[in-house]
Amino acid sequence: MPLIPRLTSLWRNLFHKDRVDQEFSEEIQAYLDILTEAKLRQGLSLQEARRNALLEVGGVEQVEERVREIRMGQFIETAWRDVRLGARTLIHSPIFTAVTVLSLALGIGANTAIFSVVNGLLLRPLSYPESERLVDVWHTPPQQSFPGLDRFSVSPANYLDWKSQTSAFEKIAVYGYAGLSLSTSNDPMPLIGGTVSSDFFSVLRCNAMHGRTFTPDEERPGRDQVVVISHALWQRAFGANPNIIGQTLTLNSRGFTVVGIMPAGFQFPREAELWVPLAWDDKERQTRSIHDYLVIARLKPNVSVQQAQAEMSTISSRLEQQYPKENKGWGAVVIPLREDLVGDNRTALLVLFCAVSFVLLIACANVANLMLARGANRQKEMAVRIALGASRARLVRQLLTESVLLAVTGGLLGLLLAVWGSKMLVRLGTLPDAGNIGIDTWALGFTLLVSFAAGIIIGIMPALQFTRTSVSETLKQGSGRSGGTSLKQHTRKALVVSEVALSLVLLIGAGLMIRSFWNLQHVDPGFDTSNGLTMSVVLTPIRYSEPHQQLAFLDRAMEQIRAVPGVVSVGATTKIPLAGGGSTQPFSIEGRPTGAIAEQPMAQTRYTTSDYFRAIGIPLRQGRFFSEQDRDNSVPVVIISEAMAHRFWPGANPIGKRLTPSFHLEQGAREIVGVVGDVKARGLDSDSSTMMYLPYNQSPLPFMSFVVRTAANPESLIQPVSKAIYSIDKEQALTDVQTMDQVLRASLSGRRFNMTLLLTFAGVALMLAAIGVYGVMNYTVTLRRRELGIRMALGAAKMDVLRLVLGQGLTLTLIGVGAGLISAYALTRLMASLLYGVTATDYLTFVSVSAMLIGVGLAASYVPARRATKVNPTIALRAE
Amino acid sequence: MAKKQVDLLQGTLDLLVLKSLALGPLHGLGVSNRIAQITKGTFKVKPGSLFPALHRMEEAGWLQASWGESENNRRAKYYRLTAAGRRQFDAEAQDWQRISLAITTALKAT
Repeated sequence: MPLIPRLTSLWRNLFHKDRVDQEFSEEIQAYLDILTEAKLRQGLSLQEARRNALLEVGGVEQVEERVREIRMGQFIETAWRDVRLGARTLIHSPIFTAVTVLSLALGIGANTAIFSVVNGLLLRPLSYPESERLVDVWHTPPQQSFPGLDRFSVSPANYLDWKSQTSAFEKIAVYGYAGLSLSTSNDPMPLIGGTVSSDFFSVLRCNAMHGRTFTPDEERPGRDQVVVISHALWQRAFGANPNIIGQTLTLNSRGFTVVGIMPAGFQFPREAELWVPLAWDDKERQTRSIHDYLVIARLKPNVSVQQAQAEMSTISSRLEQQYPKENKGWGAVVIPLREDLVGDNRTALLVLFCAVSFVLLIACANVANLMLARGANRQKEMAVRIALGASRARLVRQLLTESVLLAVTGGLLGLLLAVWGSKMLVRLGTLPDAGNIGIDTWALGFTLLVSFAAGIIIGIMPALQFTRTSVSETLKQGSGRSGGTSLKQHTRKALVVSEVALSLVLLIGAGLMIRSFWNLQHVDPGFDTSNGLTMSVVLTPIRYSEPHQQLAFLDRAMEQIRAVPGVVSVGATTKIPLAGGGSTQPFSIEGRPTGAIAEQPMAQTRYTTSDYFRAIGIPLRQGRFFSEQDRDNSVPVVIISEAMAHRFWPGANPIGKRLTPSFHLEQGAREIVGVVGDVKARGLDSDSSTMMYLPYNQSPLPFMSFVVRTAANPESLIQPVSKAIYSIDKEQALTDVQTMDQVLRASLSGRRFNMTLLLTFAGVALMLAAIGVYGVMNYTVTLRRRELGIRMALGAAKMDVLRLVLGQGLTLTLIGVGAGLISAYALTRLMASLLYGVTATDYLTFVSVSAMLIGVGLAASYVPARRATKVNPTIALRAE
Repeated sequence: MAKKQVDLLQGTLDLLVLKSLALGPLHGLGVSNRIAQITKGTFKVKPGSLFPALHRMEEAGWLQASWGESENNRRAKYYRLTAAGRRQFDAEAQDWQRISLAITTALKAT
């Protein structure tokens, strides 16, 4: 019977019942009409004709009911019978059933868990209305200054020009991050806030749950002391008090009136817990060369990303011509919000999804093998049924029902696993839009689909084989010993070979990840991560607007921290290495041609105290560190990194040369007094950046990260050091309190997550493949007992038998490894972007992983091989 | 109708439906008329058994249904034999011939 029409018809009957019913009503109505017409032609009156027709039909309702029964009944009834029969069969072999259901549950559960993440991030729309129209707009920086960087934050004046000149967007908004410290009766609470333009919420189409969001009026300095808080913060800090609206919070020592509470789950930008208006003053509105903001927009309904991109490119080149000094080389790029949010996670997710489906395939192959191993009994049962007249299709269907039943049971169990797994993934992974991830209807549908597919995969081979046998042959073979199973053996071996191949691909993938991770861990970050502690503070403008106030706080803080017992040294900088972020600045070198700002070379810029390098452990290469004598009234100085020295003064001594950072033109040229070692500013996998350091004392700033070197375990000093800083001003909240080790670990957390998952999957795959090899070899030995017995009777030594069986196991493994190597060679390049310091076809990984797998294959064949040597020739021969 | 109508033997309804459709597609009333015609009025199939049979055979893949126009421009659902239906018809026809021959022979035996 053709399967496809069967399934479509079942689908129709089950899910489009109304349409089917209605169609039948029409059919019988047509029958009545035609019959009535025929009777009219026979000369009856219309009324009579109709009456007679109805009589002949004998009750439309009843006919409809019977047809409905027929349409629905047949398939379901047979299926139900098969399910009951299958369940009975499975209950009779509880161990087989348990093993199968459990391994399928693991496989399907892992698949569903990963699918829930893939679904949440890549497939489902983001949690904003019509989110497919949301885009981020970024600058693209000039490539000679920022090689490799493809997106850059936006400056206020450029944003305002974009906003006034575009027509592609329904709405466009700008936002930034702000560290806000909320004063409480105890220590201040550090919070991450979004500073947002008034259109921000309407671009996302999210309204406040209570109260309101911002009005355009509140974008003006002076009117901006209003705040919208997140649902989470409302619950955490204010006990979900509905009267909070209208009350005043002290944020960064200023009073802000709460005007709104966002609904639960709203968290944009990432990690933001409250929002304040972005109020630029006139000077800021004209700033073009300080890039500090992010732009989000909603496309008009019929405008494509490409169209918006084309328009933004035109506007950008117009601005380049209009403001060549600041804008030369700065373009714009429009990126769909989802793509921007998901970013690097896409490749990792797809690799993991591939990996986890491999694991399920291997598990399926194992289960199929188990089912084949049960063959002898089933084969006889099938032969009897065929002899009694059952059609082959009917038996295949029954066997498939049985395997689908197994798989669906496994799938349901797997679902429980997936609920837990999905939560774990969200907790451990650094995933954006995590609120969108979970087991929803899609994930449920996926589980069901995968379960059915798994059921068919594990069942189809055994089903075809059990029913293929010649009836008389099977029935004649009295004992279970079968001669005609060479075909079945081939299938089993093919299954094991594919298991080995699939697990090799996974192992190689995991191997490459491990090597990348190992390489990264051995990258020198350029500073000492042991016994270090860091914390940051952003001084509130209301008390620390003046540079001397900022410096005074910094000096006091240094003093207080230094006095804490156990502190070896302390320094401060604007941004510690590895954490990402930090500012970049153009500069000009004295005696060399100076172009417009947009054409000047760029260097990452950090402001530091004189003790910073010693505290964090960045080595001095040439010249000197800053000293307390480098002050406001002394010669302006700068320290540069080795990479910067090599790039701009190759082969020459940069000490004593002078350069001018373009954000500090008023201070004139600065003398280079030292060259220090390179650090990995943006992460261990980033290049050593060209970096310049300016002393805080000459250019104070209202934000700083402290770096404390401790004599003992840095964690024990978190409390005393925090207390020391709060003793100066208890309204300045400390953020990012971590040990340097934690900073290092956090910078690798994404990679560690991916590696751990892939390694787990590969481990499971290896175990399953080993079981597969063991199973098939064990069975081979059973089948060949007699032959082995004869060999030994004819004088074969135990060693020969051992070699024979091991050789066979080895052959299987080798074929699998061969196939696996080819697939791995083709597949691992997909994960190239996840690797570091190792190519996707790294031969060392390929060879060592293959060797390991061959070893495991041998070990798995060894036990059956040992059993083979214990065959007693006399017994084996007599057993027939 | 003067002729005596006979109840259909179990299984013969399918055969008659298949036979009537083997000559060409028909709508429900058409099938019923065709059966009456080819059995010379011996069998008259009522909708109550005709439609369940048609739908069962459609589900089994022997028939395919589609909407079309009747001779008097009325919309009606037409049934036609699929390849599987044709095979089924051949098989059932053969069986029937064997059985009827056997029964006839048996009845003639003395």
